Amino acid sequence: DALLSCHRHYRSRPTHGIGRFKYLLPKETPKRKKDKVQMKEINVGTEYEYGDINIQMTSYDLCLVEHFAQYVHRLCNRLSIRVNESYAMPTKTNEVLFLEERGSKMQLDAVLTTHQRVVQITGLSSTFAPILLEVIQSSQPEGVHLLVKEHTEADFKSRLKSRPELEELLAQMN
Amino acid sequence: IELEKSCYSDHEIRKLEEEEQLRRRKESMYDDDEVRGKTVIMAQDLEDKWEQKLLRFEAASRITDADKSNDRKSLNRKLDSNLMLLVKQKIGNQELWLLPQVEWQPGETLRSTAERAMAAFLGDHIQAKTLGNAPYGIYKYKFPRAIRTEDNVGAKVFFFKAFLQSSDLSQAELKEDHLWVTKDELRDYLKLEYLKKVNRFLLDL
Repeated sequence: DALLSCHRHYRSRPTHGIGRFKYLLPKETPKRKKDKVQMKEINVGTEYEYGDINIQMTSYDLCLVEHFAQYVHRLCNRLSIRVNESYAMPTKTNEVLFLEERGSKMQLDAVLTTHQRVVQITGLSSTFAPILLEVIQSSQPEGVHLLVKEHTEADFKSRLKSRPELEELLAQMN
Repeated sequence: IELEKSCYSDHEIRKLEEEEQLRRRKESMYDDDEVRGKTVIMAQDLEDKWEQKLLRFEAASRITDADKSNDRKSLNRKLDSNLMLLVKQKIGNQELWLLPQVEWQPGETLRSTAERAMAAFLGDHIQAKTLGNAPYGIYKYKFPRAIRTEDNVGAKVFFFKAFLQSSDLSQAELKEDHLWVTKDELRDYLKLEYLKKVNRFLLDL
């Protein structure tokens, strides 16, 4: 049946290639791996507009953080604020060792993972920013830390991994 | 409670494997080689230990003493919703319940006037954060005819919002009456017109 359900007409038929459309679309340049995006908007304008702003949420509980990040993202969509990216930072693991010394030394381990989600926003007008901040602040779940700051190069670079071999080679060249 | 389609964690996999081993041991009496040192602490035991710890932990109750006594002067009430500060102020010849208000001096930004009002009523160093320079609401009113002069027909009151960071108001002793109220209770204290404008910008989540 799978062989018989092909709708493409054979090459000798006049209707060959009837459904083709990809050649009509505009050409997409192949994506380059190095994304050196540096967008800095006007900070002092007629209406005060903030540039890129990062809203960072950290918590131990993964589900809470993810749901909160989704909520913030949808809120911004709803309020027609442009969201550039929403990404996650690598998780940090902490090992907690309890040393109970009552006769026998027990070591109860607890492994805590800290998760971080970032939502990046542009185009906030300063009349609207405090309202948004207040809404996010009051709808914070328990155990989630909120941090709102402007996007800097350092923030951008913290996502990238350093390549020690490249650096060695560059040092050798110089 | 599995709402997301997430995979099993290490602990859960370990638990499942050990359950299978136990089952196999019960059915047929082999598996004495595999016991060795792995199953000294079984995953199930760990879970039981954790559950016991959880039972021993008591979360603080959400309804505090202040709620039961309905003491509107303390900040411990209604931990769920936002509380607003209301002060009794004398305007003209009337004593009214208002949000703290101070006259604007020319040459000062509106935000610094608001911060001055806060400092006047709550003490000098309050850890309250005003977000942004834009006011949240405005209330216009005309003076009664007795006080009206040619220039001063009425007044405009701009409202700003600030978040208290710490609930440590021990140093601040307000001279007049002050209350911490939620949005619904505001209705008992404020006048209608004033209340209508104020209600527009107060969020209660």
